[in-house]
Amino acid sequence: MAPRIQSRRVSNALLPYLTSSQASSTSSISSTCPSSQLFSRQFSATAAPQTKLRRQMFQWLSTEGAALKHHIPGETNYLSGRADRDGDSNEAPRPFPGNRTFISEAVLSEDLRNEVYVRVVEKKKSLRAVSVELGIDMKRIAAVVRLVEMERRQRAQGKPLALPYARAVHEMIPTTPLAQDGERQTFHEPINDLPAHPSTGAQIFYPVPESRSFTRVDAGRVFSGAPALEKAVADKISHPSDLVDDIIQNPNSIEWVGKGENARQVLQPADVRIPHPQLVKLELDRKAFPNERRAVTQRHAERVEKQEAAEQERRERAHARREKSIQHVEPEGSRFDYRIQDAKFTKETTGADGRAPWAPGRRYGVPAEDRKRGMVKIPTRVEA
Amino acid sequence: MVLRIRLARFGNKHTPFYNIVVAQARSARGAKPLEVIGTYNPIPKKPTNLYDDNAHTRPYKEIALDRARAKYWLGVGAQPSDPVWKLMGMAGLVEPKPTTFHKA
Repeated sequence: MAPRIQSRRVSNALLPYLTSSQASSTSSISSTCPSSQLFSRQFSATAAPQTKLRRQMFQWLSTEGAALKHHIPGETNYLSGRADRDGDSNEAPRPFPGNRTFISEAVLSEDLRNEVYVRVVEKKKSLRAVSVELGIDMKRIAAVVRLVEMERRQRAQGKPLALPYARAVHEMIPTTPLAQDGERQTFHEPINDLPAHPSTGAQIFYPVPESRSFTRVDAGRVFSGAPALEKAVADKISHPSDLVDDIIQNPNSIEWVGKGENARQVLQPADVRIPHPQLVKLELDRKAFPNERRAVTQRHAERVEKQEAAEQERRERAHARREKSIQHVEPEGSRFDYRIQDAKFTKETTGADGRAPWAPGRRYGVPAEDRKRGMVKIPTRVEA
Repeated sequence: MVLRIRLARFGNKHTPFYNIVVAQARSARGAKPLEVIGTYNPIPKKPTNLYDDNAHTRPYKEIALDRARAKYWLGVGAQPSDPVWKLMGMAGLVEPKPTTFHKA
């Protein structure tokens, strides 16, 4: 039953005239209005108990909206995208029907995120492998591991956790469940997506003779302003994904173009830049050898292993190099440690006038622009 | 005139940051020095990426120093100021000065 607005005594002496004049002006509309209430209230000085919209709201709440009053645990309670009411479960869950672009994306369920942690930390699998198995982006995998680690530490320290809140939220939003034994894992998100590279935004008119093959490799070179590959080199590349192995093994082999501040690496084809280039190879192999599934899988595993070994070695080398240039000093009785980093203050690092923007240290004769309009001062990224 | 290796303060209020500079002893702190040979950030930083609670978690301060240039300027008679002497002592470029006080 719709609650009513309490009618208040009208003390304003002018109001009867105002309301009557209003009523006379709307009388032409009232004939079309189905409700007789408006018509009967023509000369009434009492405040209307309900507006039309309010009446409609309560009507909706007692009919359509009644189904939404109590949410079913484990299911979203959105106006659209509910499987049981409309029968079309394919529709994306949209909490706000007026805002078509807002789609409530699924989050990882508790089981799934715990599984991610178990596979990475306890089973010592690589982020890359876990990402492919569970269909979760590698960055998300890394974030989950950090957060679960933090949660465990807080549990160990006996800190309170907002568990009822987490439970309530997880009941109300879509989640990606962990597959039971024998089931196929539903993928949480596309894992091989690539953001558009800024240098591909340019519209370039580049005439190519019909007799010449022009692939994604060549397009990347055009976008970065590099000269075309020599024919002998270009002929060796039958598919852009052929470059993957070399570049993974040795990322420094990517060519540079331009001088000084304008120096940039040649834009590689998307086949190389995607997070999991090996999956492209796997699909190509599957198509080429449809009857040798085991051999194909074996080869894929070998490739992934090789890639991981190369990445690990590179990480270790970089870490060793960094550590070598830093001297750790731990003075006796001090509250702080000191890290003394080797720096080079030469013409190359500071520029001819000592004011190069990449020079180490603060610079002289260059205005600090940190108070300028539009300068972003908050950190926009976190170094892991 | 005496050459000094000293700190030149940069940064805003409450966020000091120093260049380690070689300058004429009587020039202003903010004047352009002969040479910048390093930086010193006196605001302690917390080590990140510590998954293990037992890890050594003393906050640290960052120094960057061009050792070759520092050695050269020391060799030609530049005199480090006291704070720079302390930093260079830690880097092993000069003999640390004896403390004038005793820690309890």
